[in-house]
Amino acid sequence: MNSIVADNLTKKFGSFTSVDSVSFSVKQGEIFGFLGANGAGKSTTIKMLCGLLEPTSGDAAVGGYSIKKEADKVKTVIGYMSQRFSLYNDLTVGENINFFGGVYGLYGNSLKERREWILDIANLRGKENTLTGSLPGGVKQRLALGTAVIHRPEIVFLDEPTSGVDPVSRRSFWELIHSLSEEGTTVFVTTHYLEEAEFCSNIILIDAGRLIAEGNSKFLKSNYITNKIFEIRSPGLIELLDSAKKLPFVEDVSIFGNSIHLMVTSEIEEADDLKNRLESITGIKLTGIEVIPPSLEDVFIHLLEGKK
Amino acid sequence: MNIKRVKAIAKKELKHVLRDKVLLLLLLIFPAFLISFFGYAINFDVQNIKLSVYDADKSSLSREFTEGLTASEYFDLSVYMLSSEEADSVLEHKEAAAAIVIPEGFNADIRNGKNTGVQILIDGVDANTANIIKNYLEGYVNVFNTQAMKDITALKGIELKVPLNYSPVFWYNPDLSTTYFLVPGLISMILLITGVISVSLTFVKEKEKSTIDQINVSPVTNGELITGKILPYIALSLIDAVIVVVLGYILFDAVVQGSYLQLFLSTLVFLMSCISLGLFVSVIADSQQVAFTVGTFITLLPSFILSGFIFQIESMPKFIQIITNITPAKFYNVILRAIYIRGVGWENFWPQIVYLLIFSGIFLFLSVKITQKKRAL
Amino acid sequence: MRTILEIIKKEFAQFKRDPKMFGVILVAPVMQLIFLGFAATLDVKVIKTYILDNDHSDRSAELVREFSSSQYFRIDGYVSDYDELTKVMDGGNALIAFVIPSGFEKDIESGKTAELQAIINGSDGNTSSIASGYAASIISSYSNKIMLNKLELRGVKQLPAGRITADTRVWYNPMLLSRYFMVPGIVGLLLTVITLILTSLAIVKEKEIGTLEQIIVTPIKPYQIIAGKLIPFVIMGFISVVIVITAMRVIFGIEVRGSLIFLFISAFFYIFTTLGLGLLISTITKNQQQAMMVAMFGVMMPMVFLSGFNFQVENMPEAFRYISDFISLKYFLNIIRGVILKGSGFTDHIHDFIMIIVLGTLILAISILRFNKRLE
Repeated sequence: MNSIVADNLTKKFGSFTSVDSVSFSVKQGEIFGFLGANGAGKSTTIKMLCGLLEPTSGDAAVGGYSIKKEADKVKTVIGYMSQRFSLYNDLTVGENINFFGGVYGLYGNSLKERREWILDIANLRGKENTLTGSLPGGVKQRLALGTAVIHRPEIVFLDEPTSGVDPVSRRSFWELIHSLSEEGTTVFVTTHYLEEAEFCSNIILIDAGRLIAEGNSKFLKSNYITNKIFEIRSPGLIELLDSAKKLPFVEDVSIFGNSIHLMVTSEIEEADDLKNRLESITGIKLTGIEVIPPSLEDVFIHLLEGKK
Repeated sequence: MNIKRVKAIAKKELKHVLRDKVLLLLLLIFPAFLISFFGYAINFDVQNIKLSVYDADKSSLSREFTEGLTASEYFDLSVYMLSSEEADSVLEHKEAAAAIVIPEGFNADIRNGKNTGVQILIDGVDANTANIIKNYLEGYVNVFNTQAMKDITALKGIELKVPLNYSPVFWYNPDLSTTYFLVPGLISMILLITGVISVSLTFVKEKEKSTIDQINVSPVTNGELITGKILPYIALSLIDAVIVVVLGYILFDAVVQGSYLQLFLSTLVFLMSCISLGLFVSVIADSQQVAFTVGTFITLLPSFILSGFIFQIESMPKFIQIITNITPAKFYNVILRAIYIRGVGWENFWPQIVYLLIFSGIFLFLSVKITQKKRAL
Repeated sequence: MRTILEIIKKEFAQFKRDPKMFGVILVAPVMQLIFLGFAATLDVKVIKTYILDNDHSDRSAELVREFSSSQYFRIDGYVSDYDELTKVMDGGNALIAFVIPSGFEKDIESGKTAELQAIINGSDGNTSSIASGYAASIISSYSNKIMLNKLELRGVKQLPAGRITADTRVWYNPMLLSRYFMVPGIVGLLLTVITLILTSLAIVKEKEIGTLEQIIVTPIKPYQIIAGKLIPFVIMGFISVVIVITAMRVIFGIEVRGSLIFLFISAFFYIFTTLGLGLLISTITKNQQQAMMVAMFGVMMPMVFLSGFNFQVENMPEAFRYISDFISLKYFLNIIRGVILKGSGFTDHIHDFIMIIVLGTLILAISILRFNKRLE
């Protein structure tokens, strides 16, 4: 069963095309990762799927409703957490929960139950009367997520939910996302933390408004990267990077912390072979070299670089 | 003070202003609207006032009396009443703003040397207009009396001269043009409102968006920050002032009689006081909404009502007269009118300049003190 | 209904957190009331007067007494020559200066006409012509007194011609206090400020901080958002009207002569217009600053000036009068002033009432249609 089916979704702002004929489908209960650089059209796509923006052409079915013709019905089956923190800073935690509960038509016991649930997941028990603006970032995000699903929507859209949040909070936030998914909620999430994308059961990647890759993380790694990737350490990392770019047997090279990842053409198989070639051409000493399995980051850099 | 840093901030601020088309448009159109509105629409002359008359005497003298009124541009005869009782309903239904009832025997009494009473009824709901109508009608009765006295004594062959002849001479604004009077007041009103509000908003906005923190951690000093941020607004305010002066001249022939240099310099002094007031507002307000409301409240009404812009300060109750000192516009109006209408120099308004400087000093001092106190917390 | 209530509750919770705003809303009306009530008057009660007496006679002294004993002329000083007089005028210290010529007394006693010149600072045309009028009337009655004395000396008991005495009565406001006109008007002004300015911020503020997005993705209906956001302002508006009407009684002793119920019903329909305009501003502007500027200077000030709040619309050029026909504040002010000052009721204001409803419904309808639930 598909929760979301996008069909040639397009959005233009004046002459600028933000989203260009994007099609994909999201299965019920899965965590669907939506990736791309800043300005690639992620937020615009989410806003269209939520009925906040009207597509210029194309359509999508969200929870079985057309976002073009039945935007009002779409809104009954979705939850949305925007990129900017969008609870009221000048209301207390309790007031925010009550307000959004009320807007979704919850009251009495069902509201009370959900309120307890949100307070639990956000660790805010006993802090109902705290002003929301004074909470730390990670707590705010959990509160925002809780509020976004207060009405138990079939689908929840999370637009960069963890940006600006510390790693520990991010980890626990993802645990929350998993538990939602296990309960059958479809989670549609955008992020630019690629290690987070590994948690997703399916991923699409867009660039400049166009869809350039889709599939699960394993598929992406094997399908788009056939060549070997080496992790290389050297005292002359920057010089190596610069000179390696110009070499014919190097496809991509990028810096990762204190090492560089280098993707080679199919002619090179062995680490020693590569080490010899590099050292002889550049004259820079390598202190370590090993074959590594491609990460999603490698895949995306390859895809995005390859396009240029 | 580092000029380069000031310049950088001023440039940034100018870009904000130029990019906000709505704001820019308002800052420029607002003065144009005000001057044309006050120039064309505001007139304290009695003009085409609807007058209803009941003439019980129907004599040549009573006709002369009414015709003298209705033939002028001041009054239009709207209802010719058939009884004095009608006056009630005429005023009630706003068919006329004033009613005149001339009694029977009007002519005979006057010619026989007896006094006669003419009833004047005025709709007093708008007291200001009613007052003008009242003054005009009573003045008319005076003039009519003098004329009648002359005519009748001449007719009776008595040689009698009026002992006193009053001849008023109006200086500075001989046509008694309202617009000429209002243009300087408009300049001060516009400068005060736009100055205080835009300055207070620009600071509160940075506070709200916490971009101020970014600037605070840089080597920019408070003085540089303030100078840089207000420069574009000073420029805009001066442009506003120029618009009013030019439009006043083109549309209403309002000429600056005095020195442009003195006009410019005293305007700068006034702007300083506007800016210190704006700073003060931004210091006490945490949100744009509060800043705007407070800013409007302390500028719009006072500059309109308490500054002598239209309403004469000497005629206000004592305690209000004291309150009028809170608005720098009051002092600037005195300066502006001296330069603009009377064409006189420093010696006539230096106390006002001193007051404005003290005013700026006090509010700058308060802003700094409050800011320091807030930081200490 | 429950949804609307939630939004209302939220709005009030937010008001509560912003006590400064609340203070401004409650204090401002009373201050405005005092300023407008006491200060906004075109009355000329005090005329700064200087005398240049070149005659130094009993007659000239008598004339000065005539002026100083009137309630308007305040003799601020004497000057000895024309140069000094010019200085006093240039400095703006005198509104009027009387020049009594030498030979003043001699002329009067010998039956000639003495010239009395008055130099008036004409800057403020209105004030100076009123002052001149007062002077003329004092001089003319003094002149008549002299004439009558002389005739009596000649044995004539009566003036050859009678005089008209003006028996002036001012209706509705016998003391000609402008506060009777201004203060009721403030009720209208205040209702406009609160409902228009605050409404104009209502949506754009949430747009700016991003919470509007969060509300729009919920299944809430546009009318629920609008009603929930606007009703609090309606309530605040009415509270401030009650404050002003109470303050009006306490401070100025002005009682409402007509029906308060009719007044409130008209006010209810009147705010359709201001809420509609506020909503429209809030939907079309990008940020709070823009919204406030447009609301204040683009809408509110022209509206107030053209409504007859302080300036007679009848005296304005045709174009302005034509525009004023579309300003519902004008009709509302008619009703407020009628009800408070004259005790008039619905039957006297059918036309005003209909115009308020028509304009209000039209503007509110347009702005609701313009407000769509998408982000664009």
